[in-house]
Amino acid sequence: MLKVCKIIIQIAFLYGIYLIGQWIQEALNLFVPGSVIGLIILFILLSTNVVKDVWVEKGADFFVKHLTLFFIPATVGIINYYKVFSGKGFFLIVIVLVSTVLVMAGSGLVTQWMMRGKEVEHDG
Amino acid sequence: MMDSLIAIAAITGTVGIYAAAVYIYKKFNSAFTIPIIIATVIIIAILLAFQVPYDTYMRGGEWIDHMLGPAIVALAYPVYQRRRILKKLLVPILSGTILGAGVGVSTGVLLAKWAGVDQLIIHSLAPKSVTTPVAMAITDTLGGATPLAAVFVMIAGIGGVLISSTVMKYFRITHPIGRGVGMGSASHAIGTATIMEQNQLAGSVSTIAMVVSAVVVSVITPGLVAVLM
Repeated sequence: MLKVCKIIIQIAFLYGIYLIGQWIQEALNLFVPGSVIGLIILFILLSTNVVKDVWVEKGADFFVKHLTLFFIPATVGIINYYKVFSGKGFFLIVIVLVSTVLVMAGSGLVTQWMMRGKEVEHDG
Repeated sequence: MMDSLIAIAAITGTVGIYAAAVYIYKKFNSAFTIPIIIATVIIIAILLAFQVPYDTYMRGGEWIDHMLGPAIVALAYPVYQRRRILKKLLVPILSGTILGAGVGVSTGVLLAKWAGVDQLIIHSLAPKSVTTPVAMAITDTLGGATPLAAVFVMIAGIGGVLISSTVMKYFRITHPIGRGVGMGSASHAIGTATIMEQNQLAGSVSTIAMVVSAVVVSVITPGLVAVLM
């Protein structure tokens, strides 16, 4: 029970940082979304020890573990665009996929190639 | 009354289907059973079968959607935990990501131009590798159609997740750092969420790639599109 309370309080804390990120985005009219600004803020707060890692650990673990759940309502939204998939639109999907493969392979290979010789422990 | 019942049904339904999808993935472990793919397909099938409009589903779905913001904020924590390793590898990670940003915009635009696609669509397709709000803002600057931009972002995300294991195998990208850069650069937050489930180091790298690529793509796209068109 105590663990559940801890998670809820920490989620509320993360939500607060998200709201600050939203507010900064709106106030400065930035193109970067509020959630990403919040991510950068939390990273800075953790690195400067203003926020102790135990304050967010449980809530963050919960979100990170179930991250895909929070994307589902947005991905289901593709249902409104089924017309894009029919006729000539199918070709656009192929273009996007081919470009996506090139990005994935290109960026991944360059990074891997630049790291050759460096040993990094795998932590799962 | 009816409204809150619909909302509760949508929320519990989504959470239940997500839980089932995670179970199915653990059992079959194939690209087609990745939780986000299978859960999305099941929910769309249910909505179509019972002729439920998306807006009705979102009366409950928006509550889950609303938590996406703090969930993205939480990604700072796994990155923070691995900051020492990541700092050492920052140059390869950033180099791969910046190259990926350039490849994403230029190949998307060139392929579409070669296929004779309308300029409006090319402007909506150019920033597809970055997270939705950023892509929509870039498309808006270019003069494209923002809802269309969101659809292309979704295709790059879901499509990228679907083909990622094949791409990584074919191009022999075996290291979690390389995989993370590939996922975050090509398939933004959807890719990051998926790879985070499999390996937290790769997920942390993917988070960095996603954030950096959002910034780089928004800076280079207007100029790059002008040159390529």
